[in-house]
Amino acid sequence: MRFGVVTSTVLHVLVIGAGMVSLSSPKPHDVIDVESLPIDIVPIEEITRVLEGDKKAAVAETPAPTPTTRPSVVPDAQRFGDNSQDTQAPPTPDPKPREVETAALPQASPEPAPRPEPVAEPAPAPAPVPPPAPEPAPAPPAEAAPVPEPAPQAEPTPEPEPKPVETAVATEPALPDTAPRPEARPRPPQPVKEAERKEPEKPQRPVTQPAQKTAEKTDDNVLDDVAALLNKEKASGGGAKRSNEQAALGGERKTTGEKLSQSEMDALRQRLGSCWSIPAGAEDGDALRVSVRFRLDRSGNLEGRPEVVAGGSSSGAGRIAAESAVRAVQKCEPFNLPADKYETWAEVIVNFDPSDMF
Amino acid sequence: MKLTFKAFLLAAAVAASFSAAITAPARAVLEVDVNKGVVEPLPIAVTDFLSADGLGTEISGIVSANLQRSGLFAPIAKAAFIEKISNPDAAPRFDDWKVINAQALVTGRVTREADGRVRAEYRLWDTFAGQQLAGEQFFASQSNVRRVAHIISDAIYERLTGERGYFDTRIVFIDESGPKNQRMKRLAIMDQDGANARFLSDGRSIALTPRFSPSRQEITYMSYEGGQPQVYLLQLETGQRELVGNFPGMTFAPRFSPDGQKVIMSLLRDDGNSNIYVLDLRSRATTRLTNSNAIDTSPSYSPDGSEIVFTSDRGGRTQIYVMNSDGSNQRRISFGEGTYSTPVWSPRGDLIAFTKQTAGEFQIGVMRTDGSGERILSSGFSQEGPTWAPNGRVLMFFRQAAGSPGPQLYSIDLTGRNEQAISSPNFASDPAWSPLLD
Repeated sequence: MRFGVVTSTVLHVLVIGAGMVSLSSPKPHDVIDVESLPIDIVPIEEITRVLEGDKKAAVAETPAPTPTTRPSVVPDAQRFGDNSQDTQAPPTPDPKPREVETAALPQASPEPAPRPEPVAEPAPAPAPVPPPAPEPAPAPPAEAAPVPEPAPQAEPTPEPEPKPVETAVATEPALPDTAPRPEARPRPPQPVKEAERKEPEKPQRPVTQPAQKTAEKTDDNVLDDVAALLNKEKASGGGAKRSNEQAALGGERKTTGEKLSQSEMDALRQRLGSCWSIPAGAEDGDALRVSVRFRLDRSGNLEGRPEVVAGGSSSGAGRIAAESAVRAVQKCEPFNLPADKYETWAEVIVNFDPSDMF
Repeated sequence: MKLTFKAFLLAAAVAASFSAAITAPARAVLEVDVNKGVVEPLPIAVTDFLSADGLGTEISGIVSANLQRSGLFAPIAKAAFIEKISNPDAAPRFDDWKVINAQALVTGRVTREADGRVRAEYRLWDTFAGQQLAGEQFFASQSNVRRVAHIISDAIYERLTGERGYFDTRIVFIDESGPKNQRMKRLAIMDQDGANARFLSDGRSIALTPRFSPSRQEITYMSYEGGQPQVYLLQLETGQRELVGNFPGMTFAPRFSPDGQKVIMSLLRDDGNSNIYVLDLRSRATTRLTNSNAIDTSPSYSPDGSEIVFTSDRGGRTQIYVMNSDGSNQRRISFGEGTYSTPVWSPRGDLIAFTKQTAGEFQIGVMRTDGSGERILSSGFSQEGPTWAPNGRVLMFFRQAAGSPGPQLYSIDLTGRNEQAISSPNFASDPAWSPLLD
C-alpha cells in the first residue's frame, strides 16, 4: 500500500513538473497592424456617364462617333455654395483663411507664385462679386498648375478683387497683374447639370421660392443638417456646387448610353415569362429551348415578325416550341420600356429555356 | 527616328480606335433569358361550324368538350366572342380574337353532299401570328358524324400540343347494374366521351377484364359462362365469339400482344399453380413463360413486344416483375411498401402504370420500366385497373367511393391533374382503352 502511494505521488509530481516546464504559455498571436483605409462608395454610373455639354462651348476635341451621354435631371441650384445639394440654410462664412488661386497668364508678369490651393471656394452669392467679365460660361476653377485655357475664358486684365476674399489679399499689398479668376457669379442659374455627386437615394426636396422660405425655414434647416451630415458635407453654406469641369461641346442627339437597370431587366423578363404558355406534354426542356429576335419601335410595338434564331424545328415538338415562343413575344406587345433608353432595347433577343421547370 | 516611330504608333493607335469606333455597331442587341413560363390550358376559341341544320353546332360542341376534358385547353365561352364568322375560309379579324385572349381559333363548315354523305371541314388559326395553322376536310356518313368531330379534335390537339390525340377512341368496360348482392356484369363499349354506349353481352354470366386488340376490332375477355372462368374472343363487327384455347383449368387476365396475333394470359391449373402462357391465335400453339410455384398473373406486353410486365408473389408479397417475351431474365422492379397489381405498359414504352395497396388505401401510380421514379397519381378508398390512352398521356381507372353502391370510371392526366369522371349508363368498372381507330 505504501509503495503504491509513494510511486503514485512520485509519478504525479514528475508528470506535472514536466508539464509545467515544457508546456509553457503559448506564443501570442501577432496581430498585424493594418492601416485602415477610408472608403467611399461611388456608384459606377457617376464615372461612366458623360455629361451633357454646352452647345456654345469650344470644341475640346473631335468627338468620336459614339453618342454622348445625358445625365439625369437635377433641379438647378438656386443658391450657390459648396454643398452637393441645394439647401435653404443661409451660408456661413468659413472662418478659416481661404486660399485664392491666381491664374497664370500667357503674358504673365513676374509676380508672386500662384497659390498652391487647387480648388478655390467660390464666394457666397449675396456678397458682391467682381463685375462680370464677358464670359459666356461660368468659369470653373482651374487646376493648381496653370493650364492653357481657351480664349473665351478669364480675361487677362486684372480686375479688382472681390471684397470677401480680402483675407488672402491681405498678404499682398500691391494689386497683382494676375487676378484671381472669379468663381461665383450672381447671374441667374445656368442650365448646368450637377451630376458629379448625384445621390438618387436621398429624397429630392423641391426647390422652393425665397418667398416661402420663412415658413419652412426651421424644418428645412433641420433637414438640411441631417442631409448634410449624411452627405458628409457642411450643413450650411448655401446651395449646391456647380459642375467643376469645363463644359464640353454638347452633342446633337443626347442618349444616356446606359444599359437597362437590373430592375428593368427583371420586369421585362417577368413580363415575357407571363406571356409564354409552355406547350403541354413537353417531356424535356431541350426541345423547348428557342431563341427569338425581334425589333421594337419607340412605343414598344413590334416591327415585323419575330424570327427564330436558335432552337425550334419545322415539325413536331420543335415547331410547337418555336410557335409558343413567337406567340409569347407577340402577346406581350406593347412593351413598356423606358423611352430614354430606346437605343438599348431597339433590338432584342430572347432566349426561352424552360429546363429549370422540369 | 524615335520621334517618328512614336508618332507612327500614336497614329496607328488613333486610326485603330477610329476604325473600331466606326465599325462598332451603333446599338447593341439586348439579350434576355426567360427561364420560367406559364403552364396553363391554352385559351382557344371554337366557333360554331357553319351548317344548314344544327349539325355544325353539334360538331363544334363535341370538339370543344373534348379539348376541355383533356385539361390542356380552355375553350372560351361563346358569349364572349366578338366577331361572328360568316365565312370560315376567309381570314378572321384577328384583333377581335386577340382581345378576348384567344391564342387559337377554330372555324369550320358542315355541308351535306348530294350522295347523302356529310362533308365537314375546319380551319385552325393562330391569332397572334395572324395565320392559318391547319385545315382539313372529311367525308363521313350520317351515323359517323361524332367520329368526324373526334378526328377534328385529334388534329387540333396534335397541331397545338405536338402529341397525338386520343379522342377518336372507344372504351370497353364492364357495365354493372342491379343490387349489390345480385350484380349483373355485362360487357359494354362506348366512345371515350361516354356517348354511343352499347352492351356486348347479355349479362347472364359474369364477364371480367375486357381488353382491346391493337390491330383489329376484337376484344378478349374473361367470362364465367362455361361454368369455369375462360378467356373468349369477341369480334366487334360480327359479334362472333370464340373460346381462346382449350386449357385444363381457369384462364384469366388476358391481353393481346402489340401485333394482335397472340394472347397472353394466366392459367391456373388444378394444382393451384398459376403461370403465364402465350397463345398464338393463328397456329393455336401455346407457350409457357413462367414456371414458378407462386402466383404469376396480370401480364402486359411492352409496345415493341420485346418484354412483358407481370405480377408475382414469389417474393412474399405481390410485386411487379419484368421478363423478356420468351420468358427469360425475370427480374423484380417494384420495391416499395405495399402490394402491387395490374401493371400496364404505356403505349409510349416509357412507363408502367399499376395499382398499389398500402396502408389501407388504393393508389394508382406510374413508374419507369426499370422500377425507378415511382409516382402516385391518385389515392382513394377503392380504385384500381389503370388503362392507357393511345398517346400514353392519359390514364383511365375505376373507383368505388366509400359508401357508394357502385364503381365509376375516371380519367386522369399523367401529371396527376385533371381528374375527370366519365359518364356511363350504369356503374362501370374495368375499363380498357382502344387504340386510335383508323
